[in-house]
Amino acid sequence: MPTPPSFADVQAAAERIRGHAHRTPVLTSRRVDAETGARVYFKCENFQRMGAFKFRGAFNALSRFDEDQRRAGVVTYSSGNHAQAIALAAGILGIPATIVMPHDAPEAKVAATLGYGASVVRYDRYTEDREEIGRAFAADKGLTLVPPYDHPDVIAGQGTIGLEICADLPDVATILVPVSGGGLISGVATAVKSLRPNVRVIGVEPELAADAAASLHEGKLVRWDAHDRARTIADGLRAEPSELTFAHIREYVDDIVTVTEDEIRAAVGEIARRTRVVSEPSGAVPVAAYLNRSLPAGPTVAVVSGGNIEPKLFAELVSG
Amino acid sequence: MISLDDIRSAATVIAPHVVRTPLLPFGSGWLKPESLQPIGAFKLRGALNALARLENRSNGVVAYSSGNHAQAVAFAARLHGVPAAIVMPSNTPVVKIEATKALGAEVFIVGITERVERAEALVAERGAALIPPFDHPDVIAGQGTIGLEILEDLPSLDAVVVPMSGGGLISGVATAVKALKPEVRVIGAEPALAADIAASLKAGRLIRWDPVERAQTVADALRDEPSELTWEHISKLVDDVITVSEDEILAAVADLARRARLIAEPSGAVAVAAQAKLGGGVAVVSGGNIDPALLAQLSAR
Repeated sequence: MPTPPSFADVQAAAERIRGHAHRTPVLTSRRVDAETGARVYFKCENFQRMGAFKFRGAFNALSRFDEDQRRAGVVTYSSGNHAQAIALAAGILGIPATIVMPHDAPEAKVAATLGYGASVVRYDRYTEDREEIGRAFAADKGLTLVPPYDHPDVIAGQGTIGLEICADLPDVATILVPVSGGGLISGVATAVKSLRPNVRVIGVEPELAADAAASLHEGKLVRWDAHDRARTIADGLRAEPSELTFAHIREYVDDIVTVTEDEIRAAVGEIARRTRVVSEPSGAVPVAAYLNRSLPAGPTVAVVSGGNIEPKLFAELVSG
Repeated sequence: MISLDDIRSAATVIAPHVVRTPLLPFGSGWLKPESLQPIGAFKLRGALNALARLENRSNGVVAYSSGNHAQAVAFAARLHGVPAAIVMPSNTPVVKIEATKALGAEVFIVGITERVERAEALVAERGAALIPPFDHPDVIAGQGTIGLEILEDLPSLDAVVVPMSGGGLISGVATAVKALKPEVRVIGAEPALAADIAASLKAGRLIRWDPVERAQTVADALRDEPSELTWEHISKLVDDVITVSEDEILAAVADLARRARLIAEPSGAVAVAAQAKLGGGVAVVSGGNIDPALLAQLSAR
């Protein structure tokens, strides 16, 4: 297992991404506040470059490449936001990028990845292992593999969100973070618990992909079948924690709560109507928890992690 | 005409109650998303400033508006504990009528040409104070705070694109921007179907369009026409106008949802449609109160 990133690593990441990643705003909704009798803030990572927090970790990881690594290029596997994040960050830094994507990845995501200048290699997700393909590419062509979350530099980059929340909201009491592979919550929790040990960091998972919640409650990594995890509409939350991210989760995360598919779908519509921003189902999961679960009192931040939703699905959820 | 000092003073008055909206990068330009204000539109700024400065508001306030100004006055009145009566035209989107009622205002629905008359009658009956949607120096000064914020966040600003209807927003923004950085181009954006200001600037005098004609545009918040006061600001301070088609407006709504993850109403997307033609600058996304059914329809196409 690689060394977990420290608070100093998160601070260094903040310096590296400054001027490249957006410093996203926190928004409030007086309607939600009035209805729930509490204060909630939305940390809008859907306004991040390429529409999701993933750009932070990708840019941080790629900007640490040495000359040889930059020349040879980067490879990664992802069907979603990490693919676009690596493609965009690599384009900015002048590093060739190869992205391994499933044959049935949504065309919009493939097109966006190609649009940022990356090469795309397709694989069959039912018969081939994307991690193996990624590793084989890295070995054969001398490329450096930057996985979606199982990497200290990626985690440190995502942690910069925690720094920004603490700076913008000195009285925050609870931070709600979506959990999939666990890179985002690992980084945020590392930053927040170093700065403000009393702030609660609570993970949120879809009930249908609640392996991290099960693992935290059992005190050891519990594996769920990938087909089971793939049932949730939150397509960015179908991965599973690694040893590295689970070590952070055990150390720093106060709890992980779960939400239903109906709650996730409704949250996308609620966010649209109340704050007038577009979120993807995975990004709306913390808001679903805030609206439907009884959580600790005090000012709360929901990390709206991304806004890359298929327009047709958004149309359906916003009118629902 | 209003001054930079009026706008600076408005900024102090309204600061505790409005969102200091961020500038978001968008293509080769930027967006100023006033859709993120508590009522979903910039109108809150002007209404808060005007209401805070009223000397006698004990008998309540009256406003006439097709939508966002109504919610703005209702919001500001509730904040100050003052009753609000709002006159709205019969073609107002239901979402805006409901939102105004939800803020505690009494709502009167009238024919589109009768609203000023009805508002004045309410003022006379109740001894209430009228807060007009744009034809008032305090309202204009409140909207001008947007110009201050844009320049603070982007000192290298070269052009700002602002939607125009009654002209309150652009009058305030242009006053702030031209006072602080005269070389910045202030560009108005109008639907081609309600382009009376573009026609007026070309003619060099205020030209009136039939309200029924102006009401054809999908940009329901841009169906008004300037007053003498706003026309004076516009004719002196606005550099140019870009007009956009109905299709361009609707495409800009979908584009904002997909690329900026912002929900805009058609009126709020008009400056973005114009910005696309200009190729840069800051576009003011003036509001986000769109009917969910229309948003769904535009997102899906």
